[in-house]
This record gives sequence, C-alpha cells and structure tokens, in this order.
Amino acid sequence: MDAYITKLDGAVAVDDTILTTGCPTTAGSRMLENFTSLFEATAVTKMKAAGYTLAGKTAVGEFGLDTLGETCFFDAPLGAAAKIVSEGEVMAALNVDLNGAPRRAAALYGVTFIKPTYGTVSRVGVVPCACSGEQIGVTAKSAKEAASLLAAIAGHDPGDGTSFSAGKYEYALDIPLAGKRVGIIRELMTGENTGKVETMAAKLRALGAEVTDISLPEVSLAKTAWQVLLAAETCNNLSRYDGVKFGYRTEEYKNIEELYVGSRSESMGLLAKAVILYGSDVLSKGRYDDCYDRALRARRRVREALAGAFGEADILLSPACLKAAYTKEELKPLLSVYEESVYTAFASVTGVPAVISGGVQMVSDTLNDALLLSAAAQTEV
Amino acid sequence: MDRTALASALELNQLRLTESETEAVLAFFADMAKDEPALLIKELDEIEPMIHVVDLVNVLREDEASQPFTREELQKGAPEASDGCWQVPRLLE
Repeated sequence: MDAYITKLDGAVAVDDTILTTGCPTTAGSRMLENFTSLFEATAVTKMKAAGYTLAGKTAVGEFGLDTLGETCFFDAPLGAAAKIVSEGEVMAALNVDLNGAPRRAAALYGVTFIKPTYGTVSRVGVVPCACSGEQIGVTAKSAKEAASLLAAIAGHDPGDGTSFSAGKYEYALDIPLAGKRVGIIRELMTGENTGKVETMAAKLRALGAEVTDISLPEVSLAKTAWQVLLAAETCNNLSRYDGVKFGYRTEEYKNIEELYVGSRSESMGLLAKAVILYGSDVLSKGRYDDCYDRALRARRRVREALAGAFGEADILLSPACLKAAYTKEELKPLLSVYEESVYTAFASVTGVPAVISGGVQMVSDTLNDALLLSAAAQTEV
Repeated sequence: MDRTALASALELNQLRLTESETEAVLAFFADMAKDEPALLIKELDEIEPMIHVVDLVNVLREDEASQPFTREELQKGAPEASDGCWQVPRLLE
C-alpha cells in the first residue's frame, strides 16, 4: 500500500475501505485483492472538488473490523494512515471508523482524528460492514487541517439515506472553552493512557473549563450492544462476497456450492469469519429476541445515558485505548478488539462525534463537532 | 455454541474452518457469551429498540431506466466471464 503514497502538499490518503477509481480498493481482504471500483466515494469526489489531491490508499484491517489494522491481508504497519500523517508523508487521511481503529491509531501516533456526527458525511462509497455505526472521519496533524478537510467532505448526499439534510457544515475552532464543563469518564480511567487524560484535563482547566469526574457505567453496555449489532450487520454485508461477479475465486471447485464456500473461506481471515458466524448466531430464531433485539434496546439506553451525561458535561474525556503501544503479536487473540472497544463503542453505537487529540478521546453530543475541534485546536502544543 | 451448532452456522454462511480456526471461534463465542447477560437486564424490557441513530430516509431514484456502466465495465472485475456472461459451474447436471 505504501507504494501508492506520494509526497504532495495538500495530499490526502484514503483508507482502503473507501472506493476510489483508478487504483484498487481491497478493504484489507484477499477477497478484494484485485478489485477496482467503477465509481468513487462521495467524500473523495467532494475532497477533490475542494482542491485536495488523492495521494493513494492506506492499509486497513480486514473490512476495518479489528483493533489497529493487524488483520490486513497485505503487509502493512499498524495504524497505517495515522503513521504516515504523523511522519508528514501526507497532509491528512480519510478513514472509516466502525470499531474505533482510526481513533486508537491517532491516539498512538499523537495526531488528530475526528469521527464526525453520524449523518454529516456521506457513506456512499464506503465498503459496507457495520452500516449503523460506521462513519468516514479525518486524520490530520492538527485540528485546523482536520476541520478544513472535514468541512470539504461533509454535507447532504441524496444517495445516502442516513445523510442529514444540511448542505454544508462549518467547524469554528475558536469556541471559548471558559465555562465549558468537561467530565472525565470514571469507568474508563484504566490502562496506560490515564496520564494523557490528566494532562489534557489540566490544559482544558487552564483555558477556563470546569473539569470533574463523571460516572457513565453504560460504557460496558455499549460495548456489548455494539459487538452484537456490528456482528449482525457484518454478517449481512459480507454475505455479498461469493466469488461470482467480482473478488477472489477459489481455484478448486466442482460445483457452485464449492465455489461459494472455497472462495469465501480461502479469502477471509479468522476475525471476519468469527464475526460473520457470531452475527449469524445473534440473528438466528432462537437468539434474536434475547440478543439482537436486546442490543437495539441497549443502544437506546446508552443514548439516554449519554443525554444525561451531556446534561452535566459538554465534553466527555477518556483514554481511546488500553495501552500506549501495541505489537501485531499481542493483537492476535480474537477478543482483543472487543476488549478495546469499551473505550470507543459508546460513540460508535450512538453516532455522537468523537475527537482524538493529545492521545485522548473527547466526545460530545450530536452536531457538537466544532466544540470538540475547538478543544483540540486550543490545547495543541 | 457447540460444534453441531457451529457446523450449521458454517453451512448457512457458506464458510469452512480449519480445526485450529474452529477451536479459536468456539473460544471466541464462549467469551462473547460472558458479556451477553448484560443485555438481559430488566431495565431494557420497557425500552423501544433503536434500530438506527438517525431517522432513515428510503433512497429511491426516479423510475427511469439507465445504464450507468456497460456490461464490459461491470465484468472487468469478474473472476471468470465469457460471451458477456459471468461464468459459474453448471448448476443442472
């Protein structure tokens, strides 16, 4: 993937789960190894129209399901997009956040990432996986660069049924933080990144914000709900890959059944298979009511709990991940991604905006993206 | 989920697993099951399911025939195609 990258001012790399024409879109999977789309994502079209240059594609974990890109079929570094942004190879990157991977990567590489409010950026042209929570976001070195690119790609798209009606969005970076209430989520103050949260809290205090601890026990419920919903949606979305019209086809088959099974099994990795099977299970007749339906109810409960939290705090502050660094080896166990998602799932399952800056996560209420970017901009060194 | 149920799920999803993958997936299912009781709390009984975080709009184009891509373009990425058709194994013997 790095081969596509060129050093250009204003150049933007695009996650390999976002459709582009002229170069392959693999979604990190052998299934799409040689797939080139006939159309490009709306976000890419809008980005180009605003004068940005498509520098190339950045590697992702298979269908973006994993922790940091460790399941990519192709040889790639963890958090590839955040890495090349931090190294100055490109000005910014567009990333698909469906299970928190770009947020973790930005936190680890010390760059800015915004997962905007769900519905503000078109998802047309995203390789679909967990549609009710996936969202295109922006990684950049600074909040200013992230805000500029986000403003270029945000806005209504008639082709996306989940797209808000506003034609464009502006992201002011000078919203005063004096008097704003910041709540540190007590239940998430675990792991190796709590010091970064304290550092960010001190910076926000210095800008006049009131920082307190806040309890949000529903973050665990959000994790459980999102793991069920993500798996169910992934199961449905990945059922389209069968080796017939596009993508990988096994060489060994005697009939159509063997073609389907061989093509899917040889091309998909263990995490994708496990998520598909779990999704199929939670949607099955015997489990739907106690699992899938309950996860949908839990989503509303988490949204209500967040509404209550936003009554006490304008910004929720927490780590974005458990550790300060990862190796591919320690991310191999299938469960690691779900253990990590306790930090990120509550924003994924409810569609509220989240910003990573200074290695920590800031979350606010729907359409409060500018407040988060202001906090990031004003606390940057 | 036991091996019998897994075999059924594999058939349904047109997948197969190696023995080591089977062990890993069964362990994965067992771990996921540990979290699931959290979804059975009584508090959720009276709450409406929230299918989506935003109100959905059904996206329908005008009912007009169009040809955005040619057959050749659509078959460019086909694993096997001939005479303008996607090639698959014989379905009827």
